[in-house]
Amino acid sequence: MAIYQDSIRVQDCFGTLHKRAGPSPPAVSFPVGRAAYSLGLTASNGVERQGLPERGNQGQRRQRRAVEPRTERMTVDQDWTAVYPTAASFKPNSVPLPVRMGYPVKRGVPPAKKGNLELIKIPNFLHLTPEAIKKHCEALKPFCTEWPAALDSDAKCEEHFPIQVESKAYVSAGPSLRNPNARIITLTVKLSSLNLDEHARKKLIRLSGERYNKDTDTLTITTDSCPMKQQNYDYAMYLLTVLYHESWKTEAWEKEKTRADMEEYVWEDSPSQKNILETLLRMRPLGEKEEEGEVREELLGRVEVQEYKDSVTKLKNEGETETNMQQYKEAVKKLLNI
Amino acid sequence: MAASLRHSTLFTTVCRQLNSTLWLNVGGRSIHSSAVCCKNRAARIRVGKGDRPVTYEQALHPHQIAHRKGWLSQHTSNLQGEDGAADRTVEDLFIRRLIYGTFHGCLADELVIKRRGNLLVICALMLQKLPPHKYYFLVGYTEELLSHFYKCPVKMEIQMLEEKSVYKYL
Repeated sequence: MAIYQDSIRVQDCFGTLHKRAGPSPPAVSFPVGRAAYSLGLTASNGVERQGLPERGNQGQRRQRRAVEPRTERMTVDQDWTAVYPTAASFKPNSVPLPVRMGYPVKRGVPPAKKGNLELIKIPNFLHLTPEAIKKHCEALKPFCTEWPAALDSDAKCEEHFPIQVESKAYVSAGPSLRNPNARIITLTVKLSSLNLDEHARKKLIRLSGERYNKDTDTLTITTDSCPMKQQNYDYAMYLLTVLYHESWKTEAWEKEKTRADMEEYVWEDSPSQKNILETLLRMRPLGEKEEEGEVREELLGRVEVQEYKDSVTKLKNEGETETNMQQYKEAVKKLLNI
Repeated sequence: MAASLRHSTLFTTVCRQLNSTLWLNVGGRSIHSSAVCCKNRAARIRVGKGDRPVTYEQALHPHQIAHRKGWLSQHTSNLQGEDGAADRTVEDLFIRRLIYGTFHGCLADELVIKRRGNLLVICALMLQKLPPHKYYFLVGYTEELLSHFYKCPVKMEIQMLEEKSVYKYL
């Protein structure tokens, strides 16, 4: 056919003039570097046009030479990271794979890679071959520092850095990189790592309310009231400081703490203690008149009474379980000599 | 007598009308109407004589998206909890119109717009209608204009084709 013969002739003449661009492909992936196209015009058209007067661009159109795509000249052991150094869309003339993509026509095959929009639509990872990732790691190594050798376990990390601060950074596609959710800061600290006595601990737990988790003994402070991350972090640290110092102070009105305000059951001065003492006093044989105070001390010092005290405290604090009830039963039986 | 006659004629006409609605009488046609249900015409090229070449993108209808077709525009705004979907859509539309006009007659297929973080990448398939230096100029012009307009880096990756890739003939 006329077109085919033409293209062969043209290639012989101009094949040597072909110039290659640098290792990275230009933004415009023409079949060739400079002003050359593969022939879109038929030879017959060219012949006709010679007779007509030359107008505008048509007279200046020279024979365009067809050049093979870059894939023909790729060796098997080439450096692929030079072909796809960064994320780029699929270029059929740069990828030497015979990929086909698309739903085939009836009794046909999926469309070829040339001019295939589906291959361009999908994100490809041609720039992330294992070799490329190795090169990235090598390039990042000078900026990295070693993990301190002393911190080799989680326990040590917690011991030296008890306060943990979490913040999230958001990446999205769009002209703006601001995300309002990035200002939220979460600060977690274990109360066992803070220097608190009994009163301070109870007060801190009471002040923090819902932010304290009893099972894991962690206090979690989440701040999002300020517009910037740094401000929220400062505010969270300030809250922690204030809580700590306030819990160490004892206000005047704290003396009025009643039995109903107690966090957990305390057996001393409870109705249970009074009852058991009365019962035991009544159980003593008649005729022994001793001092009340001494009797009390002696009674309280007895092992059975201590056991009874433990079982009642457990029942009240932890609730009714099989073991607790059993313990209470045993303690009562021992006390009353049943 | 007259009253009863009138009644009877009325009765017969009513009966005739009832007959015509319930049974198809000879020569008695009635209009049947229902709610309107139009055929979907969005982004569809209807099957014709078989001489019209269509690309893969044109041949597959929109309901095939996510089945046999991909998406022409990619960004994170349509994910759960992300903002800016409307802005990205409007940007996409503007870019498509701008490039359709700038490279008039040169586009072989729809544009593919990708957003990699801040970067806006426009992938286009072009025909060889213009000499290359004009293509270079138009690409640079579009990139510069759009990056000033949207305040983000814009890159165009174009590929040249001799002719539109035909998928089938409708």
